[in-house]
Amino acid sequence: MPDIIITIGGEAGQGVQTIGEVLSRILIRSGFYVFSIQDYHSRIRGGHNSVQIRFSDQPIQAIGTDLDLLVCLNSETQEIHQPALKSDGIMIGMIKKSPSTSSAISINFNEMAEELGNRIFANIIAVGALIEILGIDDKIAELYLEEIFQKKGNDVVRLNKEALALGQKEIKRQQIPRQFLDKKNGNPNQGNLLLIGGNEALGLGAILAGCTFYSAYPMTPSTGVMNFISSRSKKYGIIVEQAEDEIAAINMAIGASYAGAKAMTATSGGGFCLMAEGLGLAAMTETPIVVLDGMRPGPSTGLPTRTSQGDLEFVLSASHDEFPRFVFAPRDPQDAIDTMIRAFNLSDRFQVPVIILSDQYLADSSWTFSQMKMNEQPQKIQTVIGDHSYQRYALTDSGISPRALPGMSEALVVADSDEHDEIGHLTEDLNQRVQMHQKRMKKIEKMKKETQPPVQIVGQTATIIGWGSTYGVLFEAREKLAKLGIEAGLLHFNDIYPLSTDTLTILKSVPKPIVVEGNFQGQLARLLERETKTSFDLRVNRYDGRPFFVNELVDQIREVLS
Amino acid sequence: MISPFRNQIEIAWCPGCGNFNLLTALSEALAELGLKPSQVVLVSGIGQAAKAPHYVQANVFNGLHGRSIPVAFGIQSVNPDLTVIAESGDGCMYGEGGNHLIHAIRRNPNITVIVHNNQVYGLTKGQASPTSEVGFVSKTQPLGTVSESFHPLALAVSQGASFVARGFTGDKKELKSIFKQAIQWKGFSLVDVLQPCVTFNRTNTFGWYKSRVYSLPEEYDPEDQVGAFKKSLEWGDKIPTGVIYRHAKPVFLDQVFEKLGRKEFLIPTNNYQVIFEDEKRRFE
Repeated sequence: MPDIIITIGGEAGQGVQTIGEVLSRILIRSGFYVFSIQDYHSRIRGGHNSVQIRFSDQPIQAIGTDLDLLVCLNSETQEIHQPALKSDGIMIGMIKKSPSTSSAISINFNEMAEELGNRIFANIIAVGALIEILGIDDKIAELYLEEIFQKKGNDVVRLNKEALALGQKEIKRQQIPRQFLDKKNGNPNQGNLLLIGGNEALGLGAILAGCTFYSAYPMTPSTGVMNFISSRSKKYGIIVEQAEDEIAAINMAIGASYAGAKAMTATSGGGFCLMAEGLGLAAMTETPIVVLDGMRPGPSTGLPTRTSQGDLEFVLSASHDEFPRFVFAPRDPQDAIDTMIRAFNLSDRFQVPVIILSDQYLADSSWTFSQMKMNEQPQKIQTVIGDHSYQRYALTDSGISPRALPGMSEALVVADSDEHDEIGHLTEDLNQRVQMHQKRMKKIEKMKKETQPPVQIVGQTATIIGWGSTYGVLFEAREKLAKLGIEAGLLHFNDIYPLSTDTLTILKSVPKPIVVEGNFQGQLARLLERETKTSFDLRVNRYDGRPFFVNELVDQIREVLS
Repeated sequence: MISPFRNQIEIAWCPGCGNFNLLTALSEALAELGLKPSQVVLVSGIGQAAKAPHYVQANVFNGLHGRSIPVAFGIQSVNPDLTVIAESGDGCMYGEGGNHLIHAIRRNPNITVIVHNNQVYGLTKGQASPTSEVGFVSKTQPLGTVSESFHPLALAVSQGASFVARGFTGDKKELKSIFKQAIQWKGFSLVDVLQPCVTFNRTNTFGWYKSRVYSLPEEYDPEDQVGAFKKSLEWGDKIPTGVIYRHAKPVFLDQVFEKLGRKEFLIPTNNYQVIFEDEKRRFE
């Protein structure tokens, strides 16, 4: 089947997200792969919000463009989204009819809900109308409602089922035929599909990595990670502390890590600016830490609820002077889980900071998986029991010094942000400085052996290069290009820094690389140019705060190639 | 007897600095409390005072300027068996790190904060600090400062900090006693220590302090917040030392443990696969 794209729009607070969530769950239970993304403004009430749900019986992994169905919870939705509606698309809800909107179904969900006794039912009435238009088995929908409202009692379940039926009935009353599916579509028997969001997966990944201390200051779009971990803090025993600022957040996490916890913090670019000095502290004291930056456009406050890939060069060099760090950018929720586990393992093993680059697109989108796996296993932190002769910064061949924890043995653990001697006491001896700096820096060579090469699909004509959350879009763009007779390859980076020698070899051999990034200057391209000493001057850049879209990208790539 | 908390590292302070007595009082207090060096973590920021932990035989985390309190909080949250002391100067604790002090009072973690308060910046050579008096003249403030001085104890008492005290390096015996009480106190304790800077502060000299400080009398009630607030504002001809305010209240970690229903965090590693399978079901 071709994919179907629905957008639900309304004012913030009107239930856009609830309808999106309920419909998405019903769709995956009906055997469809869903990709959904929230598009919202930074207001709690008022302001335009929308959610896009794209689904198919085949795996999909990117945002779509042309709408089959538009649900308008307010009249503004029509104004904003109608231009994206296909010529044979359908609008439903609060609609101003005009000659160009023949396939419009006017329904006032709120009025219908009031007839049922409470405006709160408007959302489920809308879901009822949607499943009727789409042709989805209402038994699956009813079962789902039972499951989510069970806790609130039988009456609540009954009323919501009535609301669902009311929505369906209204579509029938208006004699709108089922448009998109018959019940044979989808495959309910293929096993349970999982629908998981980027922020949820990042949070779950941290938990599965063994993170027991999370301190952060709320900042869009990373707050969802904090909320997810908080929701599990009691179950698994995790301290989640809302710090007074990002400076406190990273320093708390560093303290926790020094004492033996796997600790992390998360923020967005602006908060990461405040954390920069702390990042250097983690590096200088060789205290493991994972820092997540959910990117949004900047500089400064920028566009708080939009997406960006503009922080790469910043995190590569954040904090003064030089020190080794890993920079990873997960491509989807499955990868987010694996990457978080790997991040904690590597941070501990090399005693270096690991920076995870997410973005609003990954944070607020949900992907469907037929199965998810833990492809990485959390390692216990590597510590030693020391005695009175223990030296925290003992010089070793690898540059990694055995790590003791304070209070766990007779060893005294002395950590210092000043340049220090092997014990950890501050020094101004310049020979010691050179030794210590070399000790820290030489970890990079071994770290390079741990970074994974980019995902590669070989193509003859050109090679699309990207990183992080754009993977799904680039993957689908590549498929589309193939249908147009352009055999492009794909090279997608999750591990961005340090680049391994193998990766550099791959980069030198790919035909006609085109680097696609959500920033102005081509920050990955510039990194690749620096590392490979070859030119990556074919580029597609976007910095308007919106994600890449497959159709547009296909055109842009063709243009670059011509 | 030399305290087991003293080490052999060469001290970089000026001869006659008030920090020496503070260092002795603290290392003796730790020893007299029966603590072992491995049970103690000294966390500091940056400044002359922030060097102090290096001269103490204990675990040390010498972090960033102004950030000793969040680090101390993180350490104590993970290992509550450790005695965690954040120690730094007035510039570090009241200037750069002022925000953390306020929020540590709110959280009430079981840490002790010791502030070497000499009313001047030492490491950067003599600028006015948050506690310098109006009119304080330095190379950086040649016309004299205009901003009023910060009253750390008044702030702490007004916010209901669990334990608030002032010591003076000229009275080592009292200082040691205050340190012992503060370290033993369950909850957040702030000890502001008047410590003359012999190089950069020609106003608030040893003699200046000596002629003004007096120990709080026995009949003083440190549990009366309003009285303590009044006392915390006393500054000028007479400066009180001793425990200004104390009141027991729930400690951060105890409350967290109660809410989490447990006293440990680390999940046994072999359970992660089980957790994953369980969590997966929530996304169906």
